[in-house]
Amino acid sequence: MIANTALRESVVFRSRRNTELGLIVLAAVLTGSAYVLASLGRSSTLPVDIVPFLLVILGLLAVAHIATRRLAPAANGIMLPLAGLLNGIGYVFIARLDKDLAALQAVWTALGIAVFVATLVLVRRVRDLERFRYTFALVGIGLLLMPLLPVLGRNINGSRLWIRFGSVTFQPGELAKIVLCIFFASYLVEKRELLSEARHRVGAVFVPNFKHFGPVALAWGVSIVIMTAERDLGSSLLFFTLFIAMLWVATGRGAYLGIGGVMFGAGAFMAWRSFGHVQDRVTIWINPWKTASGTGYQIVQALFAFAAGGLAGTNLAQGSPQRIPAVSTDFIFAAIGEELGLIGTTAIVIAFLLMVATGIRIALRAEPPFEKLLAAGLTTIIGVQAFVIIGGVTRLVPLTGITLPFVSYGGSSLLANYLLLALLLRISHDQSVREQAEAYAASETRA
Amino acid sequence: MNRQIRGLGIGLSVLFVALFLQLNWLQVVDADHLNNHPGNSRAVVRDFTQPRGAIQTSDGAVIAESTPSGDQFERQRRYPEGSLFGHLTGYFSFTYGTDGVERTYNDALTGRNQKLSLDRLSDLLLKKEHSANVTLSVSKSLQQVASEALGSRKGAVVALDPHTGAVLAMVDYPVEDPNPLAGHNQTDVRDAWTALNNDPAKPLLPRTYRDRYFPGSSFKVVTASAGLETGTATITRPSYPFVSQLDLPQGSPPLKNFGGEVCGGTLPEALRVSCNTSFAQLGLDLGADKLEAGAQSFGFTKVPPIDLPFARPSTFPTTAELARDKPAQAKSAIGQQDVSATPLQMALVAAGIANDGVVMTPHVMAEVRDSEGRVVDKYQPKPWTTAVSPDVAHTVRDMMVGVVEGGTGTLAQIPGVTVAGKTGTAQTGRDTSHTWFVAFAPAENPRIAVAVIIEDQPNVNEATGGTIAAPVARTVMQAALGTP
Repeated sequence: MIANTALRESVVFRSRRNTELGLIVLAAVLTGSAYVLASLGRSSTLPVDIVPFLLVILGLLAVAHIATRRLAPAANGIMLPLAGLLNGIGYVFIARLDKDLAALQAVWTALGIAVFVATLVLVRRVRDLERFRYTFALVGIGLLLMPLLPVLGRNINGSRLWIRFGSVTFQPGELAKIVLCIFFASYLVEKRELLSEARHRVGAVFVPNFKHFGPVALAWGVSIVIMTAERDLGSSLLFFTLFIAMLWVATGRGAYLGIGGVMFGAGAFMAWRSFGHVQDRVTIWINPWKTASGTGYQIVQALFAFAAGGLAGTNLAQGSPQRIPAVSTDFIFAAIGEELGLIGTTAIVIAFLLMVATGIRIALRAEPPFEKLLAAGLTTIIGVQAFVIIGGVTRLVPLTGITLPFVSYGGSSLLANYLLLALLLRISHDQSVREQAEAYAASETRA
Repeated sequence: MNRQIRGLGIGLSVLFVALFLQLNWLQVVDADHLNNHPGNSRAVVRDFTQPRGAIQTSDGAVIAESTPSGDQFERQRRYPEGSLFGHLTGYFSFTYGTDGVERTYNDALTGRNQKLSLDRLSDLLLKKEHSANVTLSVSKSLQQVASEALGSRKGAVVALDPHTGAVLAMVDYPVEDPNPLAGHNQTDVRDAWTALNNDPAKPLLPRTYRDRYFPGSSFKVVTASAGLETGTATITRPSYPFVSQLDLPQGSPPLKNFGGEVCGGTLPEALRVSCNTSFAQLGLDLGADKLEAGAQSFGFTKVPPIDLPFARPSTFPTTAELARDKPAQAKSAIGQQDVSATPLQMALVAAGIANDGVVMTPHVMAEVRDSEGRVVDKYQPKPWTTAVSPDVAHTVRDMMVGVVEGGTGTLAQIPGVTVAGKTGTAQTGRDTSHTWFVAFAPAENPRIAVAVIIEDQPNVNEATGGTIAAPVARTVMQAALGTP
């Protein structure tokens, strides 16, 4: 067993952290430049607060960086800068759209970094989480259903996904998906032998044992409750997709993908038949032009915004994305499309693709099945959530209101995503340490 | 599990590729369509709050400018000359969008065209406005002369430089004052718009390039050109019979000369007195295909590529229609039946003859300058269509000189200048006629080509038709040439 200090001094790990520092500075410079351009575009003046602004971004990212240097020195070095860049660009757009929200977003970002550091402090080894499996299950379901409570719950924009303490509203679903991801990972790792066992076969096709169908049915039921009682299509889709993806990764049984697809399709069809808000979403998606001044207004304005941006965008603060309702939260990507053009939107899509690719790499490298599955699940959350909302605002898929990770305004979303990031970095670190230790042991033996 | 995790990675990547493709579709491929979507008012809103350049005449008069307004829109668009340039500048309205030069040069005025945006970033840093000013080829002095000559008679005047296609003057009556449409009080703007739209005299319609009239005898320039170009007629042969009416086939009533007048003779003679029977015969001699080809070679049936929005094509029947209906063929040759022309098209006919047979692309923009006064765009003359060979153009010119020297167009004479012209009188069927005059001068080296139409003149014949429109053309040409 090698000492932690030795690890910290390892040349490989140090260069990893130095890469991270360099990329963080780059992300801060890009964010700062965007901030300056937004101010120039708005009033042709340099922003008076540019120096404190840059110091705050650099400061926040530096805190996160130093925390990784101390607490997870062997972790992957590009995840944090990517998150910082997305967070920074998102902040510039929120500041350009709504000064009051920007002040709140700055506070939430600071809290997000705090959660990031706290997670690295508290979760010293990811496998420790496995022990609290059922606690996580209960907490996760509790969080999901919390907004339905009579006193705490709040309806906002027709969806009931908020709870309120005093003047602070919070979306517990954001946290629930991570907590449940941890539960799924540990549960599925334990049961995957059973779940992939074929009791029946229809020809060559695998049919899972019905005895083990409980969890699938439960996940399905919960997602239907979210869709109907909380009227949150996005979270419902994300939650169920996450479960089915993890089930498939754990068992390798393609049949689960098919069964999950059919079950979700059936649930969605039932919801479509019986709920007006689901019908509206689909009708608007198929033809938003018919109701361009009514229910289709938001998506039509978003499409106009993308077109107005064209290849290079109108430049920051030179477009009129304020015409899109909810532009600071669900539709922030349309504002980016208008003012930064295809170049900007492609950059954001690539940033998410890099995050997903890095997450997948972490999952592939990790040896313990629990960590492997957890990393895959967390990566799925980021990837599917980014796809669902970007696809929604570009009318590739029906629109479901969820936030764009790290970019949209939203406290719960930021906290949850920084928590997710810390967990991924922790997994990455643990694996590197294991590999280093093995290599060390191997060289000791040889010597 | 690694196989599935790789699969998951591939699956997620595929989703992101789909996003990338959809973004390319929205922001590049389909962007123009979305930007021009009728429900898309964001372009107007954006332009409305942005700095906007001025529009000026070639002699330096500002005819559209933006001044600080102190309200939410920051700037108020003003048209200092009121209705004089109403259909040239068009309007810049929050509610009703844009028209005229405000529409065609919107990108230049707001500084959004390619050449300007290269410097945009540095301009932003230097706090410069990147809007540009558009200078027209139209001069305020000639526009005023044309407007006064037309007076309060419904009609239009178009004056072109035949060598470049530059519009020198373009007036019509009635015409709206664009100022009320550019107002910021939307109720007032809506009231003004409704009143203009309900006015039966159609002040919002730019008659010069969007309204069409029977060209009547002014179209004989086109028929004569087609006859000479195809060799169907020369200046000596045939000699058309002196008759007062021409019998038409297919059971149609005979085609009569104005007032039962007896006329005929060679082509120059027939043009001089504007003899209907001779030109109807020439139309029948030409045949449907050559007649249609002749009209098209001057630009009929095609939208003139002028830099003003929604220009309309002049019309001429197809070969098939003419071949089926011989009486229609005869009447089309004298500018009746299904022939209709915009005043701009008739000015282009005169300009084509004046420019050795080549019709130049008409345009109103002379140059675009940025806020520093640097030229960022300058109009380069280019031909639009070739009407006839130079030889035929010269022959037709000489015939048109004959019209002014001793025919129906004597009132267009300018002392010391050879003027070529042709009258036209087209009956409206309401006991009134539209009177036309198309002309250019000096005939040897033309510097201006003009078309004048004055609508609904009571009880005129071919000879008196020249007395109404020809003096307007003369006044405009005189002013442009600087002769007393």
